[in-house]
Order: sequence, then C-alpha cells, then structure tokens
Amino acid sequence: MSEMSRELMLSVVRSVYDDRDPVPDGLVTRMQAAAREAADDLGFSLEVELMTLLERSSELVGTRSDAATRAVYTLRFVHGQVDLLLRVAPEGERSRIDGWVVPPEPITVRVVHDDGSTFAAIISDTGRFEIPDVPLGLVRLRLEPHDDRAPFVTPSFEI
Amino acid sequence: MSSSTITERGDAGQSPGGVWAQSADAFDRWIAGDPSALDDLVRAMTPVLWHVVRAYRLDADAAEDVIQSTWLAFVRSSATILDTAAVGGWLTMTARREAWRVSKGAGRTTPTDEEELAPHLPRQRSAETDVVEADRRDRLWGAVDGLPERCRRLLRVVAFENRPDYASLASELGMPIGSIGPTRGRCLAKLRVALIEAGEL
Repeated sequence: MSEMSRELMLSVVRSVYDDRDPVPDGLVTRMQAAAREAADDLGFSLEVELMTLLERSSELVGTRSDAATRAVYTLRFVHGQVDLLLRVAPEGERSRIDGWVVPPEPITVRVVHDDGSTFAAIISDTGRFEIPDVPLGLVRLRLEPHDDRAPFVTPSFEI
Repeated sequence: MSSSTITERGDAGQSPGGVWAQSADAFDRWIAGDPSALDDLVRAMTPVLWHVVRAYRLDADAAEDVIQSTWLAFVRSSATILDTAAVGGWLTMTARREAWRVSKGAGRTTPTDEEELAPHLPRQRSAETDVVEADRRDRLWGAVDGLPERCRRLLRVVAFENRPDYASLASELGMPIGSIGPTRGRCLAKLRVALIEAGEL
C-alpha cells in the first residue's frame, strides 16, 4: 500500500473515532487546570530565579586576517549552592558550550536560544556537560534540577 | 472529495505530524518561560491521548484518570525530556503504559466496547451539510466496525500516534513484536477493501 493510501486510511480511522468517541466536553480544560496546578506546586509558574554573573573573561582567537575574530569566553554564575562555570567557544559558524556545575548533581541544562530553539544536556557525575552546535545569538541557560526545586536561569548572554 | 471532508475535523483529526510539531513548539515556549504554553501543549496533545488510551478499552473515567496522571508525570519529569521534539512521543508512551497497567488490573475496562454501544446518531450539523454527509459517515463507520477487534484497537493507536514503538505496542496489545507491522498492513488493507466496497474509495 502506498504511503499516501496508508495515510488516507489512517485519516479515515481518525475521523471515525473523532465522530464516534469524541474527546469529552471539558476534558481539555480539566487537564489544563491539573497540569497548571502541578506546575504551580513545583514553582514553575513563579518568576524564574536568576543566577548571578560572578565573572566573565575572554581571550581572542581566530586572528587569521580572513576570518572574523571571535572570542572564547568563560563565564561564572552562582545560585544558592550551585556554581556554574561556562566556556563558550566558536565552532565554525556556530558555538559550543562546555560547562561545569559544582557540586555535581542530577540537573538538566538547556540552552534557550533567542530564536525559540532549545538544546539540552544532563550534567555528568563529575558535573560536566557539553552542548555543541548552538547557533550564534542571544542565549540563556536554564538549569532544571531533577528533584523538586524550581528551575533557575542565567541572565542572557551573547554567543 | 473524501479527503477534503476527512480533513475538516477538529484537532484530533489532524494528521499527527502537525500535532507533534505544535507540541514541540509549545514545550520550547514553556521552557523559555511562557507559562501559557503549557495550556497549548495540553490542548494539542489531550485529544491524542484520549484516543490512544481509549484503545485500551478503559471506560471514560478510567481513561481520564490515565490522561491526568500522564500530565502530572510530564510536569514532574519534564527535565528528563532532553529532545523537545520528542515530547509527543514521550506523552503517548507514558499514557499507553499507564493505560495498559490499569487495563490489566481490576474491572475498570468496559465489558463490551463502550464505543460500540454509543448510538450512531449524527452530530448536529448545519443545514447545508446534510443527509449525504450523514450517509457517508455511516459508511465510514461501517467500514471500521467491520474490522476485527485487534485491527480496530491497533489502527486507533497507530492513527493517532506518530511512529509508535512496536515493541511496547506488541506487549500491550498481546501480539508478537514481529507481527505488529504485518498486522497493521493487513488491517489497513482490510479497511481499504471495506471502503472500496462501501463506495468511499
């Protein structure tokens, strides 16, 4: 059976079940309320807490005359007991972020890019993480602890 | 003609690809700090979860409980979903596992398919969509009804999911893993024949 024919059959199945066993009235609203309440309980809905920038330094690389000169940055942020060290390096037309979280604990780190895309990694047992291949632009890092603490974010910075 | 009518449906009738893309976008926006994006994600995926969970023969209350626990699990576990494009698959997988677990347990499944008891009454339609449309819908229903039960359940999951994982489907629907693909193919072929016989293809 061709892909198109298969997709047509499946769309018939969808339309039949949509007619015959439709989503109950109010189900979506009830689920939105339940999800929102769970998110509120975990502090997702509060103003997200900002990490503090402690240090920033840069060194110039790529001094070849035909290449745009781009810097390697190191940034250090803190929030409560969490210390976050970042190294942002050029990688072709994009950037690569290497990070180190002290003390190491299960945390998901996401790059939230100004263009709407996100990139994620989980920090390793030693507290390291790497997020390669991030497009240039303005980004924030969002740290999501795997326990019940609410996420927190860095201020925006340019990569 | 048939495809134009079929696509004029509510959210759940959309092809899964569109729903999946909306879900990934909503998840990205939620991560970026827009609390209302969670509402959008729930609005996009709840109809899909409903149809997938109902394929496990749960009654309406049990199905709603499964869907709610899926959303609670999502909020609690969102940090572990690294690839935001995979959020739709994560949600349907979680809902299917929970539906399967509940359906194996005591008596919350319908004794006979509840859907089969639902009266085949035409939905309220505006005046200009009419008897022809109602007849047509009856023929589509009849074609799906004529399929064996395992076909109906499998096709309902496959139709609303985006590339479901065959290994888990196989254990949940009580079929050997290797048979899911061929069974799906046979079920689709049977449906095709039924639609041709009904004059809908």
